[in-house]
Amino acid sequence: MQIFATRKIYVVTKEFFKKHSQAVKAMKLIGIILFIASLHLSARGLTQTITISVKDAPLDNVFKLIEKQTDYVFLFEKELIAKSKKVTLNVSKPLLDVLDLCFKDQPFTYHITGKIIALAPRKEEPSKESKSSTEAQNPLIDLKGRVVNSEGEPVSGATVSIKGTTKSTVTDANGYYILTGVNENAIVIITHVQYEMKSLAINGHTSLNATLQIKMNNLDELQVIAYGTTSKRFNTGNVATVKAADIEKQPVSNPLLALQGRVPGLFITQANGFPGSGVKVRIEGLNSIDGGNDPLYVIDGVPFSSQLLPTLSKVLGSSGGNTVQVGNLNYGTYGNPLNYINPSDIESIEVLKDADATAIYGSRAANGAILITTKKGKSGEQKIEFNVQHGWGKVTRKMDMMNRRQYLDMRYEALKNDGISLSSLDQNSNYDLTVWDTTRSTDWQKELIGNTANYTDIQGKVSGGSATTFYLIGGGYHKETTTLPGDFNDQKASMHFQINSASNDQKFKLSFKGNYLVDVNQLPHTSSTDITEMAFLLPPVAPALYNSDGSINWELNNSLKSTWSYPGNPIAQLLNRYKNRTNNIVGDLTLSYELLPGLNLNSSLGYTDLQSKERVTIPLSSTAPELRQNTTRIGIYGNSSVNTFIIEPQISYHKEIWKGKFDFLVGSTIQQNSSELENLYGYGYSTDDAITDINSASLIKSEPTLNNIYKYNAGFARITCNMLDRYILNLTGRRDGSSRFGSKNQFHNFGSIGGSWIFSKEPFISQSVTWLAFGKVSVSYGTTGSDQIGDYQFLSLYNFINPGIPYQGITALQQISLTNPYLQWEETRKFHIGIDLGFFNEKLLLSGHFYRNRSSNQLLAYQLPSTTGYNSISQNFPALVQNTGLEISFTSTNISTKIFRWTSNLNLTVPQNKLLRFPGLQNSTYANTLVIGKPTSIVKKLHLMGVDPTTGVYLFTSKSDPFNPRIPDDANVIISTAPIFYGGLQNSVSYKGFQLDFLFQFVKQKGPNYFYGRLPGSPKWNQPTYLLDRWQSPGDNSSHQKYNADFTYSNSANNAGFNSDASYSDASYIRLKNLSLSWQLPDKMLKIIHLQSLRIFSQGQNLLTITNYKGLDPETLSTTSLPPLRVLTVGFQVTL
Amino acid sequence: MPFLFEYIWCTMGKKLIQISFLSTILLTIQSCKKLVDVNPPSSSINSGNVYQNDATAIAAITNLYVNISKSDLISGGISSLSLFPGLSADELALYPGATINSVQYYYQNSLTSNNVNNPDYWSSFYKEISVANSAIEALTASSSLTSAVKQQLIGEAKFIRAFCYFYLVNLYGDVPLVLTTDYKVNSTLVRTSKDEVYKQIITDLKEAKNLLSINFLDASLINATNERVRPTKWAATALLARIYLYLKQWPEAETEASSIIDNNALFDTVSLANVFLKNNKEAIWQLQPVNAGWNTEDAKVFLLPASGPDQGGHPVYLSSQVINNFEIGDQRKAIWVDTVIQSGKKYYYPAKYKNANYNDPVTEYQTVFRLSEQYLIRAEARANGAGTGMSGAIADLSRIRIRAGLSIYNGSVSQEAVINAIQHERQVELFTEWGHRWFDLKRSGKIDEVMSIVTPIKGGKWDVNWQWYPISSKELLLNPNLKQNTGY
Repeated sequence: MQIFATRKIYVVTKEFFKKHSQAVKAMKLIGIILFIASLHLSARGLTQTITISVKDAPLDNVFKLIEKQTDYVFLFEKELIAKSKKVTLNVSKPLLDVLDLCFKDQPFTYHITGKIIALAPRKEEPSKESKSSTEAQNPLIDLKGRVVNSEGEPVSGATVSIKGTTKSTVTDANGYYILTGVNENAIVIITHVQYEMKSLAINGHTSLNATLQIKMNNLDELQVIAYGTTSKRFNTGNVATVKAADIEKQPVSNPLLALQGRVPGLFITQANGFPGSGVKVRIEGLNSIDGGNDPLYVIDGVPFSSQLLPTLSKVLGSSGGNTVQVGNLNYGTYGNPLNYINPSDIESIEVLKDADATAIYGSRAANGAILITTKKGKSGEQKIEFNVQHGWGKVTRKMDMMNRRQYLDMRYEALKNDGISLSSLDQNSNYDLTVWDTTRSTDWQKELIGNTANYTDIQGKVSGGSATTFYLIGGGYHKETTTLPGDFNDQKASMHFQINSASNDQKFKLSFKGNYLVDVNQLPHTSSTDITEMAFLLPPVAPALYNSDGSINWELNNSLKSTWSYPGNPIAQLLNRYKNRTNNIVGDLTLSYELLPGLNLNSSLGYTDLQSKERVTIPLSSTAPELRQNTTRIGIYGNSSVNTFIIEPQISYHKEIWKGKFDFLVGSTIQQNSSELENLYGYGYSTDDAITDINSASLIKSEPTLNNIYKYNAGFARITCNMLDRYILNLTGRRDGSSRFGSKNQFHNFGSIGGSWIFSKEPFISQSVTWLAFGKVSVSYGTTGSDQIGDYQFLSLYNFINPGIPYQGITALQQISLTNPYLQWEETRKFHIGIDLGFFNEKLLLSGHFYRNRSSNQLLAYQLPSTTGYNSISQNFPALVQNTGLEISFTSTNISTKIFRWTSNLNLTVPQNKLLRFPGLQNSTYANTLVIGKPTSIVKKLHLMGVDPTTGVYLFTSKSDPFNPRIPDDANVIISTAPIFYGGLQNSVSYKGFQLDFLFQFVKQKGPNYFYGRLPGSPKWNQPTYLLDRWQSPGDNSSHQKYNADFTYSNSANNAGFNSDASYSDASYIRLKNLSLSWQLPDKMLKIIHLQSLRIFSQGQNLLTITNYKGLDPETLSTTSLPPLRVLTVGFQVTL
Repeated sequence: MPFLFEYIWCTMGKKLIQISFLSTILLTIQSCKKLVDVNPPSSSINSGNVYQNDATAIAAITNLYVNISKSDLISGGISSLSLFPGLSADELALYPGATINSVQYYYQNSLTSNNVNNPDYWSSFYKEISVANSAIEALTASSSLTSAVKQQLIGEAKFIRAFCYFYLVNLYGDVPLVLTTDYKVNSTLVRTSKDEVYKQIITDLKEAKNLLSINFLDASLINATNERVRPTKWAATALLARIYLYLKQWPEAETEASSIIDNNALFDTVSLANVFLKNNKEAIWQLQPVNAGWNTEDAKVFLLPASGPDQGGHPVYLSSQVINNFEIGDQRKAIWVDTVIQSGKKYYYPAKYKNANYNDPVTEYQTVFRLSEQYLIRAEARANGAGTGMSGAIADLSRIRIRAGLSIYNGSVSQEAVINAIQHERQVELFTEWGHRWFDLKRSGKIDEVMSIVTPIKGGKWDVNWQWYPISSKELLLNPNLKQNTGY
């Protein structure tokens, strides 16, 4: 037996057999295994016109001609086709008509399922009479049935019509339809805006069910929104979607990084190049002056942390969160919680931006929301998939630092400038010239951060199911190493499952989802800056890292002291290790019951549990030998957990009245978060090997602990009204209560109104402006809030303090902060107007959005001078921050033929952030950090005028002394680090089995550079090559001051480096963010190797960066942390 | 919020639904308010209760001492006054390889408002003052404490407040005088003149003297103990004597110092080797070490390892100015100073505290006030005409000299010579203790004369304005009413 099917992946589904018993019978007879096309369906349909001119051609030749012109493929058995009659055609007609002509006189008929045209014997030999007389002779029947989508959900509003007649009906809310008086041999055509058209032969049945496939049209793609779904076509809000197809192309371990450059209004930066690093996410700018600006994350309906609890090490870098108060101490937070979600498990990520989309999340969504939907199974036969890739990573950029000769020249020149004789140099302070071998030359960037990191990712997935129950189980393993010398790596193992089940009558439904991930991240411990800083600061003449016997080289001087700059040999620093073992569970159970037609009760019960176990080990061997006497080995053992449960009962009601569709939703949220953290410090171990065991510490000390509960409760409602698919109105309201506020201000109302007008559907436009395929205007306005201030801020609390030995035997108590019982929500009023246009049959989509978000009642950690005894107090402040912006995106299908397809996508965001109001700014503690009318992220700096040609020292603009400017008086240059514009350009090209995707990301911005204020010429520090342009003798016009070794000019260097405008410069960049090339093996080859599908691919991330930035990486804007990695992988994806 | 669900479920009676929504019902029966009410975290105590209970009130005040005792000297808490002002003066030398910038700035008298943050005495002291202020308010209002405990605690809080202001005025000159807890007021204060601040210090100390116990107390504040780690009436008296000395109110200084010296039952001089041991008879107020595994933080920094000073934890040693000032035979140079030879260079370093070994038993406490200073205060007061006058001054001075293995004072008996001798004695007796040398140079008016020679040796440039430390630019940013010291 031979199967003739071309291209693409076909999946056998049990569902097909059940739902199309007619076809099944036929196929059983001939034993064909039937495939259903499930991927890459085109927008073309059965109405597509095809042209065929043949004379006495074999039928299979005609099939080939049809296949060439359409997306459809034919499935048939050879024996059957052998019986066919030759055909003569000379037509240019719609596909269906052509098919009818082809099959008119054949001994068999056809069925269309998706893109498959299958041949089956006729039940009865067809009459030779004309069609009309056949109809007249055949008895009329009543046809009923149900229309569902590929996920088994009923499709309501689908039009069911009989081909060639005017008879039609529309499916009800449960997908059922009835047609009376139908010819039993007629063809049924089912259409729906969101689904592909489907046609089925009745063949005498009185019951005919159909499964529809979702359209791949951009506008009709399913969009997940808060408590529901919609499509881009009918959405009233500003929502962007990134699908699994794009996420899977990127070798990233944090799903957030897969969004970079793809979504207008979304600005994402990675903190550093370590696996599991922090990721800062900002949607439509900074709303809060210094409160939280994190979006709300929701995974399958369960809210997820936007920040981790404080970690023991800073190595992972910040995700831009606020500090967390633990006892009397404030800790920064590092890493990112989304690192514990496997990107391969994600079906889609929705970014909700405006009030219409977010107001229903009330107090938590002032900074937007990011909804993550995980993959679920589809009914059908079991499908097993593997995806394996391996790759290599390097740091994105290096800096031009001085080489050995340049460094030595700088040092000698500095000593000469200061009149210091070489003979007077002592070994303790000028060891670079007196102890070290100055003929050595090392590229420390290459040595310390220049290795190749390895990247391995293996994912497996099994899915399948029946019409009422389907499942997906996936497992993954991921490993990344670093570019540092030494054995550092991050390993993840994960599991994901989803089970969906419905009762036979489809009234009761259950969905159970779970994600589990265990991550073991082993990295160098970092308490301030990582080893990257040493890669810049170490002079090229610094000694070898290891002695010839392989031990660590401390390069002792005559007094037996290590001569590496503090804190010592970088390899020894790497002996201080950090290990983080995190387990993350996200689980959700959703139950729904259809009480009455259109009326659904729904309850979701969600649970997340993020548990981290951390270890820091600081062995004695990492300390210079001479310092070991008074040093102790340290082991730190941290345990923390955050768990959330959420219960959200809802009632939804769908009703169609006259020409309108109404959707009502009422619901409630009960949520509780518990955070716990405890850190134990062990000291006095007898050997380095024992540090991992707390039991071997001679002394154990506890740090302040965290034991917080956050409760949250809300009721919400939404009404959506869609008239004629032209006018859509959406109203949402929510009443929120949060335990983070004092008893008088716990509750607050939020709401929004949004509307869309699909004007292209208006007859006067659709008839006159024919080139406009789609046109929509949407407007929304509403309020959202933010309670991102940490727990218990309204309570005045004392914490126990115990540094080790209790004072007089008692544990002391300390007030932890000044508190404010009147704390309230920060409120953001969002206004949004957008226009969506589609041209050329929706092949070119243009979307423009304007937003204006105003945040008032700012939750400030209002900074206080020390005379108050505290650093800050949390309070609401009547300052007003405005974010406006323009988001533009183009989506274009440039070429789309059967074998070649090219699509482009461009998005651009031009944001503006402005402080509109700040009463009493001049007399407030923000007087010198904020300016009305400027962004909230400004810095005020001195102005560096240049180098005084006479003295060779930096000159600053100053009212008093240009050599010694005053801060804040002279710091009057305002520099904004907010991005000026950003965006991305994506292109996808596919040709036969090949697919090429690439994404360029671009950002225009200013940022801090490597103008560092480390005194050029002083011992121990290497410098970038641009410092070669320095003052040497009177009259010189140089950009940098003279080299100096004895710190005489350290203050002016310091002012120039840290405090002047020279330390900020252009940090714009264009980056080839992602490149993906794949090849799908043709079916003929697949057949030989007995696989359903095999794709071979290569993927790259951060491959190329074009920038003038004077520093390491323009994304991290840091000179002290590892740049993100450039990763290139190769791999394959196989379906068994 | 009344929940519609409950009604629907009950009336429908569908078992399935009941099960699926059971958990919801159970939770929603409660009132909505309850769903967002939380108790304070189990790791904390609500502030309203702290001063209502003896144990927690004592714990809150005790934290004032823990704060001073726990910070290490390099990173600069209040106890680092034994290090940084000594570096600024002619007392300590800096190891050339030291890379910690802040140490360098203090050493070379090159502080600016931008680099003063570490150590930042300004914020450290105001933090203590704020606790003292809120304690004084809450304790005064509290009615549920044992009266003896309440009295002692108010006394301790007032003493600490005076203690902090003493250092603030001597480090910065005029400073904002914060006496209440209203942060709105406290965040916009202007500087109060030194004289006014001193008036407040004296008021506080006089009250503290009356309130504080005459015995050393344990943590119950009821029972006496031999642990000298809580302030007593004598600590307040000792500070008051010092204040009067600084204000040149000689008779008052003489009286206060005498009242301690005369309390032989509690105080006496002890041999040099015992002066810094815990609970020795010379101690008027000591701080108990609180960092597990260690004795004093002073010893950890000052005691040099065999490899000599280093760039990390041991950046300083005694300057030649101090070493050369020891008279021949001064046992303090033998017992309180130690040496290490490295690369042919002999480093002298302070060895008043001798234990820097991890996990040794705690035998030494950091001494804040001790009897010898009171002898020297009285000597100076008497030399200026108070009490028994010059003969008394020489007797007090000689007492300290004899303990150090030297002869009685036999130099010139002119007032100037005796006062100079007392200054000299203070230098070699009180070195690396709480910034005495820096403050003595300032109050004697000799700072310009001494530092214009010493600072260039240290590689810096001297300006008379630099006897006052600058206020951090951060503070100036946050309080626009605050003005910087002259010259910065």
